[in-house]
Amino acid sequence: MTDFTIVDARGLSCPQPVVLAKKALESNKKVKVIVDNETALENVKRLGMKLECDVRVQAKSGDLYEIQMTRRADFDKNQDFVSSCCETGAAKTGPFVIVVSENKMGRGNDELGAVLIKAFLHTVAGQAKKPDVMIFYNTGVTLTVQGSDVLEDLKQLESEGVQILVCGTCLNYFEIKDKLAAGVVSNMYDIVETMSNAGRLIVP
Amino acid sequence: MKEKKSYDVILFKAVSYALKAEKILKKEGLPHKLIPVPKHISSDCGVCIRFEPEIKSKIEAALFNKVDVEELRTLEN
Repeated sequence: MTDFTIVDARGLSCPQPVVLAKKALESNKKVKVIVDNETALENVKRLGMKLECDVRVQAKSGDLYEIQMTRRADFDKNQDFVSSCCETGAAKTGPFVIVVSENKMGRGNDELGAVLIKAFLHTVAGQAKKPDVMIFYNTGVTLTVQGSDVLEDLKQLESEGVQILVCGTCLNYFEIKDKLAAGVVSNMYDIVETMSNAGRLIVP
Repeated sequence: MKEKKSYDVILFKAVSYALKAEKILKKEGLPHKLIPVPKHISSDCGVCIRFEPEIKSKIEAALFNKVDVEELRTLEN
């Protein structure tokens, strides 16, 4: 199938695969998009339907999918197909922020809460859809210092471009500023600004 | 990346067993990590303990007769 223009959208998150696919379809009749997650698959498929393409999906090994789209008619290039194709359309105006305000998740039982926050952060680190910024304050800051059970996960998130802001006042209060092992010391100005500009904000 | 490696996990009947095991392993200084049970094993919101296969026998010895272990599995990443 050499006549397909190939768009390699592996490793990209929404709306990137949709943007690239649309761009390729503007100048080519036949486009093959390679994606590596189901969200991208669904979103690109939706784009294909909207643009009245003939859409065929082939599942490859792992989470890889090849989506073959054959355009049957022209479409209006200026119309915004992208945001309506992405599930996150409503929240794409600002960064995705996770606020960790405690060293536990949920209220009720602290021992259980400590387990849950570990599981939460581990799962976030393993997810395809990573937050843009994570904010730690109050007892949440104890998760970012030496000896924390989630350091490995936080460092991984950091290495993948997630910005980790750690409340300086809080580190100071607990006298653990010198033990900070993940993220950067931050202040209330940055914290408020990040929260105010967030497209989506999650507090576990 | 480290994701390529395979790990072993211990599954428990209940969260409280996992917590008990975690305490013991911490005390013994055996490296491990409490993680959510991978989705393909169970869809319950459970936790399990992950460790490097190299220290499997040490882990088993540490928990032997102290915590009920439901299952020991190798996870291919």
